[in-house]
Formats: sequence, C-alpha cells, structure tokens
Amino acid sequence: MNADVFLVGSGQTRFGEWWDKSLPALIEEAVSAAITDAGITALDIDAIVIGNMIGQQISGQGQLGAMTSALLPHRPPALRVEAACASGSVAVHTACALLESKRAETVLVVGAEKMTDAENTAIASALMGAGDSERDAPAGLTFPGIFGLIASRYMHDYGLTREELSLVSSRHHEHAKANPYAQFRSSVSPESVSSSAPVADPLRLLDCSPISDGAAAIILSRTRKSPLRLAASQLATDALSLAERPTITSFAATRDAFCRACEEAEIDRKEIAHLELHDCFSIAALINLEDMQFADPGQGIGIYRDGLQEMSVNLSGGLKGCGHPVGATGVKQIRDLAKQLKASKQRFGAAHNFGGAGATCCVHILEHACEP
Amino acid sequence: MERGTISAVTTVRHPPAGFPDEPRIIGLITLDGGSSVIGRIAGISPRIGDRVVPRMSMERVNEQKLRAYDVVYEVAAPAALQEDPFVFEGYILALTGPSGVGKSTVSKVLSSALSGIVTRVPILTTREPKDGDDGEYLYVTREEFIRLEDAGALAASTRIPSVSEDRRYGYRTEDICKIWNEGRVPLVVTEMHLLQGLARSFGRRSILSCGLLPPGTSRRAMLSQLLHRLRTRGRDSEQSIADRVRNASSDLDFFSHRKELFDHLLVNDDIDAVIATLKGHVLRTQEDTR
Repeated sequence: MNADVFLVGSGQTRFGEWWDKSLPALIEEAVSAAITDAGITALDIDAIVIGNMIGQQISGQGQLGAMTSALLPHRPPALRVEAACASGSVAVHTACALLESKRAETVLVVGAEKMTDAENTAIASALMGAGDSERDAPAGLTFPGIFGLIASRYMHDYGLTREELSLVSSRHHEHAKANPYAQFRSSVSPESVSSSAPVADPLRLLDCSPISDGAAAIILSRTRKSPLRLAASQLATDALSLAERPTITSFAATRDAFCRACEEAEIDRKEIAHLELHDCFSIAALINLEDMQFADPGQGIGIYRDGLQEMSVNLSGGLKGCGHPVGATGVKQIRDLAKQLKASKQRFGAAHNFGGAGATCCVHILEHACEP
Repeated sequence: MERGTISAVTTVRHPPAGFPDEPRIIGLITLDGGSSVIGRIAGISPRIGDRVVPRMSMERVNEQKLRAYDVVYEVAAPAALQEDPFVFEGYILALTGPSGVGKSTVSKVLSSALSGIVTRVPILTTREPKDGDDGEYLYVTREEFIRLEDAGALAASTRIPSVSEDRRYGYRTEDICKIWNEGRVPLVVTEMHLLQGLARSFGRRSILSCGLLPPGTSRRAMLSQLLHRLRTRGRDSEQSIADRVRNASSDLDFFSHRKELFDHLLVNDDIDAVIATLKGHVLRTQEDTR
C-alpha cells in the first residue's frame, strides 16, 4: 500500500429477503449505519465507490454512484464498479487507489444488491453475465452449471465424495447461527445437504449460496486513525471461460491475488487468524483453501473434516450462511473481519472475494493493532 | 468439427429461459487438437473420459419461430476403463518434457538401467517413419487411428499441430495392460496432452509422473537452451524447429499451471544425476507398492 488506509467504521443491513426494501432503501440503511459507527458526519466523506452487479437489469437502476451520492447533503464525487460477485471487493480496491493517490482523504465504500424481487430465470440470466457470453452461455449453461462442471472434475481427480462435500455447507451454517446479520441462522446437517434437490450434478440446492437482498458499507480514511488498517489490496484476473483455462480445479486469479497480498502485507499465510473466503458454491471453498495453500491440491476437505487449523474459516457463516447479495459480499467480508479481529485480539485477517468462476479475484488483508 | 473427450460434465436441472424445460447435460470437452469447448452432450449418463463426436442439432425455437442450431456432442464410446477409476491396477512411469530436453536419451539410458523392471509403451502414430526413430513407434493410418479412438481402445490420444500435416499420437490401453500383466512397469515418454489423457483414463494416482526441464534460471534461458539442442542434433528442418519451440513454450507453462500432474520435476543438466534420481524414485515406488 502506498499510504496507510484505516478502516474507521462499517454497517450493513441484515442479508435476506427484503420485499419491503428497494435497492436505494438498502443502500441508505447500510450507509447510515456505517457513518454512525465511524462517529463522523456525512460531510467528512470526500468520495463514494459503490459495487453492484445487476441493479440495471433487475431494478432498472443504473447510475448508482450518483444515486448514492444524493443520499448525502454535499453530494461528493461517486462512481459504481462492477466485477460480478467481486464487485464489492473491487469497490474497496478502487477506494484504496483514491486514497493512496491522495485524491481523497475519507471514502465511503458501499456494496449492494437487490435480487429477490425478480423471477428466477431473470436472476439466472443476469448472473450468467459473469460468464463468457460466447463460449459458455450458448450451450445453455447456468452459473450452478459452471460449478457443477468444476465439482465433477474435482471429484474425478481427487476422489472427493458427496458426503464429504456436504460438510462444507453444514459448517458454514453452523457459524452463521451466531451472526445476527446472516440470512440463515439455523443448523443444516450434512445429510440434509446430500439429500437436497439436485441443481447441477453433483451439486445440490444446499451447496449453493442463496439469492439475497442486502447492502454493506465501510468507511476508509488515511487521515482518521483507527486500530484497523488495510495491509494489502490485490486484484487479479483470469480467462472468463472454463474452456480457456489449463485447469478447472484451481483458480489462477486466487493464487495470484492471495500470493501478492501476502507479499504486500509482508506476512506469511500462517499469520492469518481469520479468513473469509468466497463460498458461492461449496466446492469453491475447497478450491480456494488449496489455491491459498492452506491445503494441498485435493486436500481442502481436510480442514472441514478435521477442523485442526488454528485459523478460522468463514466464521461469519460465509456466503452460504449469510446470503450472497452479490455486490455486497466483498464489502461485508471486510466488516466481518474487523469484528472478528476485535473480538479475538488477533493481528491479521484476510478477505477473499471472486467474481464468476474466479475470473476476477480481489484479496484484502486487514491488520489489527491492539494499541493504536 | 473435431471429436473430443469429456473432461467435466454436469446436468443442469433448471436450464436458462428459452431452452427446453428439462434437465440438460452439458460438458467441458477437450477436443483432439488440445483446445476445449463447452457444449450439450447427447447420451445417457455420460462420464468423464468418454469419447464424443460432434453433430448439428436444432436446440431451440425462439418466440419468433426462428430455429437455433448448435453443435452437440454425442457419446461415441464410453471411457475404456474399469468401473471405478480409483482401482489401482499398477502404475505407469511417465517422463514428460518439451521437445529437445533430452527425453529420448534419458529414456534409453533408463530402460537399460532398469531393464528388469520397466518396458516402454509403444506410441501409436499416423506419421511416416523417419531416420532416427528407434523402434518406439507403431505406424498406423489416420483412418485406423480414428477407428481405434472411437472404439475406446486408446488410453490417451492427441493431435500435434504442425504446419504441414495432421499428426496423431496415442497409447493403446491393451499395450499398457499387457505390460502390467507381465508384472512390469510401463514407461511412457510423453507430452502434456497424452499425460493428461493417461491421468483421465487410469487416474492420476496410477502415474509416477516426472517432468524433465531444460537447464536455465529463466524461461528465456530454458527456451534458448532447447533451441540450441534442437539445432545441434540436426534431425529437424528450421521450419520444424520453429514449430517445436512454439510447442515447447506452452509445455513450459504447463509445468507451472498443472503442478499437480507431476510427482517430481527434474532439471536435465547432468544425465547421470537425472538417471540416478529417476532410478531412486522407481525403486522406492516398487518398494511401496509391494
């Protein structure tokens, strides 16, 4: 990082089905909560970056930058960024660039998505925008289908069983029980994951993160100090289509972004106490742990089976338990890490957020100084 | 349109709007030329490793009654392997490396150093015999090759792109099984597509996979080393050397992208040291599997 970027406050809506809240209403709720949490006034904000994927298609609302800016009395400069499910973390990355280049002193970062008001086919087709419209979509592939392909290959190569895979969602649901902002706060047994309806073989309903509404906001500043500092913000990309990659059981963008983030923060991966990773589908959680070298290829399930590691994984409940309003997830992960680091008094946490089938990946490392 | 092999497959239970509302089987298919494509698979419960052939099919009719045709892939032959891909029949010793790294020399010396243990698997090829071939090839016509491939008799096959001709290479399942039945270890001296094919057919665990890299600390140094060796051995024309160096460049990427396909990576700067290391790996594996 070319400047100290502090996390001074955060807020979010509960993720879930909010039939009575529009996209602007969700954004306003998260922004107000973040400003209150930071103990600043709206006038202290110099710029806004908002991450959102499908507002245009589903809510008929573009120009989210201007729309969010109008919520504040002084209408600061604002822009919207999009990188499918990584829109939130890419918004954080963009805010870091504004701060590091001294374009702004204090930036409001928002992630928001409104998904439950549309028909399933409309949502599925909007989400498929994250894939390759020429190579993936014409065959009739859906996003669960893309991860179904990945899971089929992974199981073939490494012998992972259906029963083992079910441990992933079950664990994330268990964690979500303690999170008041999570969409699902109930236990789900591995057996019920295995017996849920098939969606894209070998994946079943409870392997998939849900369709959700929600917004999250954080406030980053280089002039207002706080014990929480962003130690790294790294963005990497890969080919959009699975058909253009040398392997589909590992994501190059995750490997690159995470490796560079550790270098930027000057830490060893073993120093990370809390990890929030992108479990859009259960199989992705395993691949991510392997790509970040917390497990050898094919061995990611060991972390869910034995639970022997010192690092926590998706203590918030992850995308499966919390819900996955796509643009909000990357921002909400940083907020969760901040809460976890404060509670555990540990030093480092990492947030891993990717878009599509890992075509964009953004990794942030948050450092907690116990004595600011 | 090229034939290919299924490398991943899923059944989408809720196809997107506009497609027939019924489960849709979609696969990632590795075409024989080495590239990949996503397409619908026509067939009942296709599996990874199955051979597929392309055909045109009317996939849907839109609201304006326009008919949309697309290429679909029909299962030609189920994968030529046992029911459970995780049954361990024996192991294959595989030596993979870019053209010019010295694979033939290493395999020749290794075959005599381990003559009591390993047998080379013959390579099926459609190319003409030429000087310098050392009995490692079985020559077949292109038609015969495709017939064997579609009958599921090949454990792995590939098409090496070349400016002048369409060359195919492969291994027959029966040759490998025969060597196992004799209680010996099949040795393949191979390249990346065939290695992936073998891993698909027999399972990755059945391969003791060694990668052979040219000496050099950077990618550029490695490529110039290969170029030098190809020129000094004098077997190839400048045109063919250019082809080989281009292929070698993607082979080098393969070592970093598909690390999991290799048990050991060796740098071929001293043949005696390489042979000693390889021999050690084989003898240790012999111990372990006994």
